[in-house]
Amino acid sequence: MNLMANILLNVLIAFLIGSLLYGLQRKVMARIQTRPGPPIIQHLLHTLKFFIKESSFPYTAAMPFYIAIASMLCAIWVSAVIVGPVIEGSLLLFFGIYALQKIVEHNAGSSSGSPYGKLSCVRAVFSAAAEVPLFAVLVIIYLQTQTMVISDIINYQAVNGPLIFTIPLAALMFFVLILSKSPDSPFAITKGKDIVSGYETEHFGVLRGYLMISESIAWYMLLWVFLTVFIGPLGILGYLVGMVAISVLIAFINATTPLLNPNHSIMVQITFAFIGIVGSLVLMMVM
Amino acid sequence: MDIATLGGQLLGQIPLGDIVLYLTPFNLFMFVGALIFTTLIAISRTETQVEAEFGSLNDNEVKVGLKEFKIRRFLAVVCGLATAGAMITGDVFNFTLLVALIGILNIGIVSAVKQIDVLNAAFQYGLIAMIASLPLFGGAAIILASTGTLSILEIAQLSFTTPMMFFASLLLILGIAGETGIAPFYATKAEMFRTPGSPFIIIIHLSSLLVIVRAIEILLIINKPF
Repeated sequence: MNLMANILLNVLIAFLIGSLLYGLQRKVMARIQTRPGPPIIQHLLHTLKFFIKESSFPYTAAMPFYIAIASMLCAIWVSAVIVGPVIEGSLLLFFGIYALQKIVEHNAGSSSGSPYGKLSCVRAVFSAAAEVPLFAVLVIIYLQTQTMVISDIINYQAVNGPLIFTIPLAALMFFVLILSKSPDSPFAITKGKDIVSGYETEHFGVLRGYLMISESIAWYMLLWVFLTVFIGPLGILGYLVGMVAISVLIAFINATTPLLNPNHSIMVQITFAFIGIVGSLVLMMVM
Repeated sequence: MDIATLGGQLLGQIPLGDIVLYLTPFNLFMFVGALIFTTLIAISRTETQVEAEFGSLNDNEVKVGLKEFKIRRFLAVVCGLATAGAMITGDVFNFTLLVALIGILNIGIVSAVKQIDVLNAAFQYGLIAMIASLPLFGGAAIILASTGTLSILEIAQLSFTTPMMFFASLLLILGIAGETGIAPFYATKAEMFRTPGSPFIIIIHLSSLLVIVRAIEILLIINKPF
């Protein structure tokens, strides 16, 4: 297939499936909490709606940073799709993309001038301090497979079996990272309802649409990387079942767990990272 | 050790005398990302922070003055360029030099603000960053002493890793953690982000995260686990 068509198709799939998985998550959470919940396509409709709404910008915003940052978030996750499903490139590059995304999340909050966005920005710095150690999972994968290139990791698993069985604690670390990105998770301190919607509070119209597209693609990509790196070569059905299963599991955790305060959230994440890193290294030495 | 197993296929090298820059998709992406952010910082104006006034229903607007704006923008742009350089350098000493420069610029960006809490946080971060420069450069020096080169491309081709190289890596990690203010040094640094001047403080966060990602690549090349 033509490269450009391949990229467009994968971005479209990532957006649509990511949106529907978010919708599914909200539905499952609602049912657990004995509420009817919104329809599964609600997140998708919500995203599209923002593109026909009026866009307004706060007079306090840092222009043109405030506008550029929302579009950059979208561009960054499109890059992730290119690095992932399209060219199956380096996981280190994916980590770089994730790091840039944290920066955008930070600045989307601070550039509006809103106190809620500002608090979200400070929390983003804290959460980055906790999520970066979780990304040590990449080093563990590298030590096990001797490569960071996704296509080589897939080949490794085709020969040696899924990595989830050989480095389960690393898989747990990555799962905690995915959980942190879920909007209603106990670790979602940057979007806590105590600070309204955090960095999204002052984004309206098209800019909010960009942020929501990015969220959907981000969710799809994190699940794709998890399944590809820890389960191995999967077909379309395998990916769909895996993504739905993880989304439902995370919805269950979200529905039954309160939002942690920032300090607790970071300590829990760092504890998971510490257990994951030390435990994986011990397991690799023993096995 | 093949650099391509980390950052993807080697796209090319830029030899500038002794300094050899190399490009993989990973380095290129980080380099371009840093430059895009730097350009945006250079052309952006700052936000106005709106705070509720205590004891009344009025708002308090916190702005960045013109003089402060100019000096902070200059420091932020230099910091962005230093970060971009750290992403593509093929030399361990240049990397440590740029990381130390980033640490100094980060202190400068925040210390131009006239707020006591922010200045206190900047002072504490500054102490850590200055102390961290010793293990940072010490690590690079020990790598040179134990391998005979500081070129990452040369180190990648060595077939051995000595205990001194491992020790030097530990010093480098300590130095980079202190300079970039990551855990366990992040607490004072996060306080610095309360200051107004969004486009400038983002470069502090950007430089830290990008340097950490690059450091992972360099440390894996030095230690050659396989």
